[in-house]
Amino acid sequence: MPLLDLKGITKVYSLGKTSVHALRGLDLTVEKGEIVALMGPSGSGKSTLMHILGALDTPTEGVAMLDGQPLPRLSEDQLADLRGRKVGFVFQTFNLVPTLSAQRNVELPMIFLGVPKRKRAVRARELLAKVGLADRAHHKPNELSGGERQRVAIARALANDPEIILADEPTGNLDTEMGAAILDLLRRLSKEDGKTVVLVTHDPEAARIADRIVHIRDGRVLEETVHG
Amino acid sequence: MVRDFLSLAGSSILHRKIRSWLTVIGVFIGITAVVALISVGLGLERTINDEVANVFGVDTFMLTARGVFGGRRANQGFSLYALDLEWLRAQEGVATAAAVRQRTAFVQGPPGPDGRANQGFLPVTGLSPELVTSFASFIGSLELEPGGRLFDADEILVAVLGRDVATRLGVGVGQDIVVAGDGDRPELTLAVVGILAASDAGSSRQGFTSGMAASGDTIYVPYDTMELLWGPADDVLITLVRTVPGRDVDEVAAQVEAALRARGSEVSAVTYSDISSAIGTVTTTVSAFLAGIAGISLLVGGVGVMNTMYTSVLERTREIGIMKAVGAKNRHILSIFLIESGLMGLVGGIVGTLLGLGISSVASAIIGRIFQVRVAVVASPALIVVTLLGAFALGAVAGLWPARRAAKLPVVDALRYE
Repeated sequence: MPLLDLKGITKVYSLGKTSVHALRGLDLTVEKGEIVALMGPSGSGKSTLMHILGALDTPTEGVAMLDGQPLPRLSEDQLADLRGRKVGFVFQTFNLVPTLSAQRNVELPMIFLGVPKRKRAVRARELLAKVGLADRAHHKPNELSGGERQRVAIARALANDPEIILADEPTGNLDTEMGAAILDLLRRLSKEDGKTVVLVTHDPEAARIADRIVHIRDGRVLEETVHG
Repeated sequence: MVRDFLSLAGSSILHRKIRSWLTVIGVFIGITAVVALISVGLGLERTINDEVANVFGVDTFMLTARGVFGGRRANQGFSLYALDLEWLRAQEGVATAAAVRQRTAFVQGPPGPDGRANQGFLPVTGLSPELVTSFASFIGSLELEPGGRLFDADEILVAVLGRDVATRLGVGVGQDIVVAGDGDRPELTLAVVGILAASDAGSSRQGFTSGMAASGDTIYVPYDTMELLWGPADDVLITLVRTVPGRDVDEVAAQVEAALRARGSEVSAVTYSDISSAIGTVTTTVSAFLAGIAGISLLVGGVGVMNTMYTSVLERTREIGIMKAVGAKNRHILSIFLIESGLMGLVGGIVGTLLGLGISSVASAIIGRIFQVRVAVVASPALIVVTLLGAFALGAVAGLWPARRAAKLPVVDALRYE
């Protein structure tokens, strides 16, 4: 059974009297442990697709299954729970909580799952060490460089040991060197820890770490290429 | 989890220090005003009660014409009533009683150098000797001019004059005045044994009759003298009754009142607890009114909290999106924001309570100095607890609408928010 299984996904946004079709009957499956890059120009629907993959949004039509659970049938709270347990997000703009230290940011997903304080702290420090930021645990996001922030975000994405990491342009705000380090980190998470990584990008350099590249245009899968 | 939310809310408050403090100031001004006013009110009430207990004595009640304390006739001054003092003293549970009678009489002073005497219609007040012997606290300290004295228990043909009367009649201590009673009774010649000192600001103003020294236009005579002039008392202004030790004063008062009514006398018995509750009603009403006005500033403080929280929600829309993306449920977001606004209310409450109590003790000291009394400082634990809970609730209620708004933000829109 694929980890992610999307069939005939349509997403329509209503903007006043007009409606925008972001996705038009898209099919996609992602297997466990795979790195899949979603590529496409702006407005192709790849961000909308990622929101649906990450249980942030539900499709207007179609069947979306995450680890065997049909997403559209879940309540808002069940979706939140699913995000907390199964999905780790990495965003282009890092999206750390500015008032919290790196460690507390990493602890955040665990707080909402009710993980005890001590266990949380140990886990957060382990993860920060894993991304090479053991000595930056008590720094606030504004005291960290872009690359460091993105590594904190990756540590946070791993907090609840999710099945899947969804990374939306993770290198978009980083210089080449930093970007390469982040991509390497994501690749290792897949190859060494068996995490599934879905990467939304329009940077061919980033797509190079993917096992499979899915090209999206006008809300549909245009073509898929498999890397050797 | 609540502790984690507390810490998340706390980080957010500390992150916006200035705005948080301004919001807290908005809350604590109101709380300070409410706490100070209520606290001063409680202090005054206790002080007045203590004073009344001190002067009145908890074993004493008074008899007044009906309605004097009921309010209906309160504006018409004291009414007079008939009373048999000996009968009253014989009642079960009564230890002793003293009464004050009041009349207006034609009074003549001694002849002047031209042979003519000053004369006129003047108020004459008859006092039971027991007023001085048993109810001294009511009399307070009566200051007499040098050479004078109050009359003794067994004297009859004596008088003590107010300063103004003495001047008007041209009479001094040792001289006589003539007082005419009812037409069919002989007029009496009374020896003036004392003249009340003219009151001045420095004199003691304690006691039930603190106004007596000031009313320099009255002639004071023994109670029995009144009977010689006007017969049995039907002109009693006030009667003080002390109960037998150990008897319940309210019970004896009720019995006496009932017995007097049965005799056709329209008299009300007023006990310490009646006066105390009357005072309580007044001070509570005044405090509640003032606190209500102060409450308006609390309302403004609440609107301040709401404004801050609403701004905070807007500002942190993206943060809310992040928290939801990493697994926060709507109720988690709601809790975090409610705790945050509640905390600001609570901090405002703590600061306001401390400041309010401080202001109330300063105010009590000032009031005490002005009125020459020791005003009790009341820091009621109930007031403090209610205030702190109320402050937290104020914050939380004010934050409810913004927090609900935050909780209901769609996660995708929140994440996209710039």
